[in-house]
Amino acid sequence: MSLAPAEADDRRAAFLASPGRRAIAWLCAALLVAMMLITVADVVGRYLFNSPLPGATELTGLLLSAVIFVGLPAVCFDEEHVTVDLLVDRLPEVLARPRLLLVRLLSAAALAVISWRLFVQGQAMAGYGEQTVSLHLPVAPVAWFCAAMTAIAAAVTFATIFARPAPPAR
Amino acid sequence: DTTLNMANWLPPAHPLMKDVMVPYAEAIKEATDGRVTVNVLPAPLGPPAAHFDFAVNGVADITYGVQGYNPGRFKTTAFAELPFLGDSAEANSVGYWRVFDKTLRKAGEYDKVHVLAVFTHGPGQIFTKGRDLSTLDGVKGAKIRVGGGIVGDLVKGLGAVPVEGPSSKTYELLSSGVADGITFPFESVASFKLIPMVDSALVVPGGLFNTSFYVVMNKAKWDALSDEDKKAIDGVSGEALARRAGKMWDAADAAGKAAMEGKVKLVPASDTEMEGIKADLKPVIDAQMAEAAKAGIDVEAVRAAMHEEVEKAAKGE
Amino acid sequence: MTWPIGTLLLLVLMLSGMPISFAMALVGTVGTISIIGMSPALSLLGQTFFDNSRDYSLSVLPLFLMMGNFVVQSGIAEDLYKSAHAWLRHRKGGLAIATVLACGGFSSVCGSSMATAATMAKIALPSMRRFGYPDSLSTASIAAGGTLGILIPPSVILVFYGIMTQQDIGKLFLAGIVPGIIGVIGYSAAVVISVRWRGLDLPTEAKLPLKDRVLALKGTAGALLLFVFVMGGIYFGVFTPTESAGMGAAGAMLLALFSGRFTLDDALITLFDTAKNTAMMFFILFGALTFTNYVNLSGMTSDLQTLLATFGTGPVTLILIILGLYLVLGCFLESLSMITLTVPIFYPVVASAGFDLIWFGVFIVVVTEISYITPPVGMNAFVLRSVVRDVRLKTIFSGLTPFIAIDFVRIVLLILFPALVLFLPSHM
Ligand code: NA
Ligand code: NA
Repeated sequence: MSLAPAEADDRRAAFLASPGRRAIAWLCAALLVAMMLITVADVVGRYLFNSPLPGATELTGLLLSAVIFVGLPAVCFDEEHVTVDLLVDRLPEVLARPRLLLVRLLSAAALAVISWRLFVQGQAMAGYGEQTVSLHLPVAPVAWFCAAMTAIAAAVTFATIFARPAPPAR
Repeated sequence: DTTLNMANWLPPAHPLMKDVMVPYAEAIKEATDGRVTVNVLPAPLGPPAAHFDFAVNGVADITYGVQGYNPGRFKTTAFAELPFLGDSAEANSVGYWRVFDKTLRKAGEYDKVHVLAVFTHGPGQIFTKGRDLSTLDGVKGAKIRVGGGIVGDLVKGLGAVPVEGPSSKTYELLSSGVADGITFPFESVASFKLIPMVDSALVVPGGLFNTSFYVVMNKAKWDALSDEDKKAIDGVSGEALARRAGKMWDAADAAGKAAMEGKVKLVPASDTEMEGIKADLKPVIDAQMAEAAKAGIDVEAVRAAMHEEVEKAAKGE
Repeated sequence: MTWPIGTLLLLVLMLSGMPISFAMALVGTVGTISIIGMSPALSLLGQTFFDNSRDYSLSVLPLFLMMGNFVVQSGIAEDLYKSAHAWLRHRKGGLAIATVLACGGFSSVCGSSMATAATMAKIALPSMRRFGYPDSLSTASIAAGGTLGILIPPSVILVFYGIMTQQDIGKLFLAGIVPGIIGVIGYSAAVVISVRWRGLDLPTEAKLPLKDRVLALKGTAGALLLFVFVMGGIYFGVFTPTESAGMGAAGAMLLALFSGRFTLDDALITLFDTAKNTAMMFFILFGALTFTNYVNLSGMTSDLQTLLATFGTGPVTLILIILGLYLVLGCFLESLSMITLTVPIFYPVVASAGFDLIWFGVFIVVVTEISYITPPVGMNAFVLRSVVRDVRLKTIFSGLTPFIAIDFVRIVLLILFPALVLFLPSHM
């Protein structure tokens, strides 16, 4: 998992040096803090003022979707997926490159298929006008957003084939 | 021979599974002399809201679910969900099916599937803790858990504060005391183990709302059946299945009511209270009907037909 | 019956180093295609990834992760360790016991075992090294103590389990408290056993006067405040267990803000990491659900039930078989994937044998705790290895033996006395 505490300081430096990372971090921060504040506003409003935040649960759900899929390309870029490297470390040198190539290709392909199906799912929901329960927000655009982020993740994963010989050291 | 996969998102012991869907599966097998069997999947394929599309896309062959879980998709459901429809789930369900079969299906919302039945839950009421429900003032300002949608609007119409949450959140909202009450049929209060968490119920004649259900089948799978099998399945579906489901909900409501004896005070709404409730809810109902009219439905005619068919069904016609 | 082929294929893909999330999604989809056809299977894939991504009850995961990350930033762990240190510094092995206690305290505000281990490693290890504790003992006490993160509430794994089995998350949290305390006591005992058994001559410090020790307790204030806020909020009905994640995250953010250690950059990194962790965990969950759908359609559940029945009847036999399976799997699989893969298969079997699913949830978590510290794949040992680069994995695992042994004692206790788990939630 991506806790990678040893490199915390290196990572901090890398993070501060990269404007792209900072931009995505701001987006992640906005989504997560919004999610947190919605719960706080709902609870405080309900408990102190007898008026809960309308649509708090459905907004939280949609934000959750966004957080997951915004974080995905970053995970793919840093290749921080959970893997079982029990045998991998003991593989003979000649097999190392082909294995990595195959794993990255299959992963990119899986992401591409998922992206396509998320898009189709969005199309279907737009077709019959799926909305959220109380605020009547359309749901399809969220699915399209998820599809787009997954497409980026697929592209990023595909690009690692050419960009690096091995995942960044952890 | 054909095997149809039935998707299921309820625990096996839930009455809708045990007393409706599983016996229905057996009835299909019997009616087709064993040519068509139904295989109930052991675990859910996805959340309840996904089940209509499971039938559309052929992920499963037969699915059931609640239209309200897909907000915006089924506008005709409003006619079955409105207040004061009737006290018997069986009569409501049979009446609903007849009107659906004759009129509502023309709205095209179910065109991508073959509909096996639509039916409703027993009438929903308001249950609260620590409040005097002998007048409507008892409801005002109470935090009432609702699933959202029309029930939320109805609760708000009565001056209460709707607290939204999925049904999985129901228990925690009530047990933690976050909510003062809940809108449910008698059956659900008992089955969600909420009886200890409420002490009174405001019983509105005809119910404050109903929950509409569907049972549908993948269209290609239906079309592939022989005419003989289709006819046999039709015989145990539609009104027969709606009646079977309604009977089950009525029995479950009766059991829920019995379990509440001595623990929950049932307060029938008086005539003056009913006048107040009707006045409070009129704008909500009007708004809902305006929405349904968008689906191309003659709202007044359908509402009249619903009441007429429910009354007929109640009389055993 | 294609599931043995599918399972084998999944194993091959996972061992070849493919991310387990994609491996499960791939095999699950191909398997589902083989059963219900291309078009339905692909639409199921899209629904699985989207419908579950906007499930409100799953929002607790990122929010608990966020809470944990802010807690890490607030320096609570250091304060906790200092308090425990003040009380135990005069005892032989006292620093290692203090580490275990601080891990337990930190677990009460952090839902992840790896975060607990990583945080405590940075704080407790330097002082244990200064006093000449052998690395095997000090790293092991952190790795083992860290596992408590998923047992003492809040817990990410209990949330996952509650969602998969539709159990009350508040009850699961309460159920984890007593086994968690038993864990703290057990690991402290493991430290004492290690010291005695290996005849370690560890230096001690002068005993602090009572007044100083009592004063040192103020270091527990931050953690205590947050724990009481979260659990008290649930208990007094201010918010629900699901909402406690958002409220806890807000509380932890405030603590971090007022800790004097807060910087905007650190907060950004914290939130970026939270989002990445969220994406990673959810893709494992979606992959597992895709594979589970295949399992569901392929009839594996009923085949397994038949298979288990041939091993003999009786709930104890069943639970021992499951325990054995988990211990084997736990050697090789990462914990979250192990849980998401196996719980959907086992819980119907266990429920039909009459087990309480709250109890089973805690049982699963304790078994998962063991998987964190058993070789060759022991995530907490890996965390330690990555924090402390000059220690060998072999050293960490060798120190862990008494801790694993104590865990077995705890498992037996929980099987013999289910009330240890069920007493608190039954009084909720
Ligand atoms: Na914890
Ligand atoms: Na292990």
